[in-house]
Amino acid sequence: MFNPFEDFKDFLSKARGLPLDQLAAAHDQVIRELASGYGKLVEQELKSLVWFVEHNRVIEAYKTASEVIKDIDYDAHSIEDFCYVLDNGADIPYLISGPAGIYVAALCNHTSDEQIVLRLGDMQRTLHFLGYRLPYGKSLRIEGDAGNFTGSALQGGEIIITGSTGDWTGAGMTDGKITINQHCGRNTGEWMQGGEIWVGSRIRGLGRMTAGRVYQGGEPVAGDVLC
Amino acid sequence: MEKQTEDLQELLERLWPEVRRRHLFPEIPTPRFESNPSPVAMEMRNKQIILNLEYVNTMSRMLPAATVLEALLDHGISHYTCCPWDLSTHLRFYARAKEILNEGDLARRATDLFMDIVADTHAVKERQSSLPLLYKSGARKGFEKIICSLYQRIWGVDLGCPGDDETVSRLATIPYLDKRRWMVSLSRFIRGIRPLLEEADSPISDEHTRMGKHGFQQYAPEEIDQALREFAVEAESPEQFADVFEDLQTQLEEVKQDVDEGMGHGAGSPVDANRLYYMKLAENYALPLHKKDMRGSGHLHPHSHRPWEVCQPFQDLDPWCSFGKYLPGITQIWQRKEGQIYGKKEKTPNCLIMIDSSGSMIDPRTHLSYAVLGGGCAADSYLRHDAQVAVYNFSDALAGGREYLPFTRSRSLIYQVLCRYFGGGTALDLDEVTSVAEDSEADIFLITDMQITNLDQTISRFSRLDNRVTAVHVGKKSGALRFIKASVKNQNISVFGVNSSNDIPRIVLGSVRNYLAVE
Repeated sequence: MFNPFEDFKDFLSKARGLPLDQLAAAHDQVIRELASGYGKLVEQELKSLVWFVEHNRVIEAYKTASEVIKDIDYDAHSIEDFCYVLDNGADIPYLISGPAGIYVAALCNHTSDEQIVLRLGDMQRTLHFLGYRLPYGKSLRIEGDAGNFTGSALQGGEIIITGSTGDWTGAGMTDGKITINQHCGRNTGEWMQGGEIWVGSRIRGLGRMTAGRVYQGGEPVAGDVLC
Repeated sequence: MEKQTEDLQELLERLWPEVRRRHLFPEIPTPRFESNPSPVAMEMRNKQIILNLEYVNTMSRMLPAATVLEALLDHGISHYTCCPWDLSTHLRFYARAKEILNEGDLARRATDLFMDIVADTHAVKERQSSLPLLYKSGARKGFEKIICSLYQRIWGVDLGCPGDDETVSRLATIPYLDKRRWMVSLSRFIRGIRPLLEEADSPISDEHTRMGKHGFQQYAPEEIDQALREFAVEAESPEQFADVFEDLQTQLEEVKQDVDEGMGHGAGSPVDANRLYYMKLAENYALPLHKKDMRGSGHLHPHSHRPWEVCQPFQDLDPWCSFGKYLPGITQIWQRKEGQIYGKKEKTPNCLIMIDSSGSMIDPRTHLSYAVLGGGCAADSYLRHDAQVAVYNFSDALAGGREYLPFTRSRSLIYQVLCRYFGGGTALDLDEVTSVAEDSEADIFLITDMQITNLDQTISRFSRLDNRVTAVHVGKKSGALRFIKASVKNQNISVFGVNSSNDIPRIVLGSVRNYLAVE
């Protein structure tokens, strides 16, 4: 049978392999693994339709998240891209702010990078629990807004939020520093046992603190510094 | 200098067939040299690549001229064959970038950089381009260093650009050559370079990128119109469409002026963003044309031949097709069939569309107005049936809040008046409306939320008309009930209620279909 393209066989393009191919494929694989890990966490956590913020449940969810990500090799940029995959909802149809935030917090705490920058300003939704249990020596910069319980149970790490945070910021933190360039919500610093929270603008309400300090516009407003 | 230019021209003509061959023979004419702000540009209007003579001369001091030319041609052709490919894609990129960055100039720069990276990477991967040699040579300023560092990483070629920049690490994992993911890739790309773009003393100026800037002036007016129409479908709201359109309006008008001057066309009219938006959307709801019924005339006429048999009458024999013989099986006889003629001639009446644009209706400039879209669908249907359409756009007509477009077949004018938004109160100038309707015997199409102050008079006046009246109301308003009661008594009034605005186009189409299909 006559092949009309026979004359052009010499013109077939010889595509050259570029490192980009491997870099992009490896990144896609990491995102798939992160998504799969998140799926496992949600399966584990969502026995009922509603996810309640209870102390034991948060600890349990964090433990599960840490377990499912321990074999994944990822970097700080992958965490940010994963946040957008969550937000997009095309590949992961269920973004539940609580578990999703705990999962992202676990990713931040277990990555080998010490400085993590998450540019989340273009996300449609905000994640809760960002910076949960961030350990000493790590720095997390969030460009955009964060949800409730930001920096809760902080363990010595430093968190900078260029936008605003929701309620219960720094709840139960033991050490470290949280800087919020704009506003934060109610119960800021609830059960705080140490560390500092610096808020650039309005604080909607302070929580009952045990220790630590809260500053507003550079001035101390609560904590042992006032004593 | 002239000798040098001639040599380059000769070299270009020699190289061009080989470059075209590598790019699988794109249908573009031989490039030309010109003083151009960018080293290389594709003039989409004539599909011709323009090379910057000065830049080629400068680079030829460091590299063989053939290498420089080939690299620039690869870049230019890749823009044509790969990215952006067409204005529609370019516009989508720009709209996405604008959505993220909220600033036109930053969005343009980000879009240009992204398209350059895709085009260059395509040329290097698929077309064995000498672009790496070009990027390796010459001094690098500002953002060129980051781009070169990125290329070094993703191409795996030493471009003499040391450093493992944080930005490059972010950009290196983006799948630039995956067309299906370009929009997501562009978002990631912008996130990566945003801090650099937004720095007060931004290193990303047009002079600091190797391949310069890409404007929208390079496209032909027809392409611009087509791309805008496609973008109207994809835009999230009329506001987003208008936002992008306003940014580009100056450049688009330049294109029209250039064409007018260069090719002797008449003066162009500025394109209205809202009108274009609704015109394109209404095309998605096109009504099918119903065929007119044919009726038998009762008259038999000679239709075709068949062999004659002895038992058949002689008067239908056709001796001219029977070889002059009367033999069964050879002699041909006329087969008669009943003819068809048009029965009662059907005609589509003209239509008077009355659209409420008072304050209680949605502003079509900011949100998708289903009233405007519905009116547009109805107008299109009548126009397709060779009828004329008049538009009466009103808020408080008695206080001057009205615009009337007499019967016309100009789709553009119709949409222009449909898209007009007055705000304010709602009242109809019934004398004016009914005189137009009575004179023309046109169908009346009223789209409103029924919050009309003189609704009772309107119903009373409409019920006395011979014209067919279709009223479409939004939501459950008390006025709608009064209209419905009137429609029970009067056969010429039909009322359609919708609980969701999204239903309006469907109702309108159904109504029009009934008019046009049922005798």
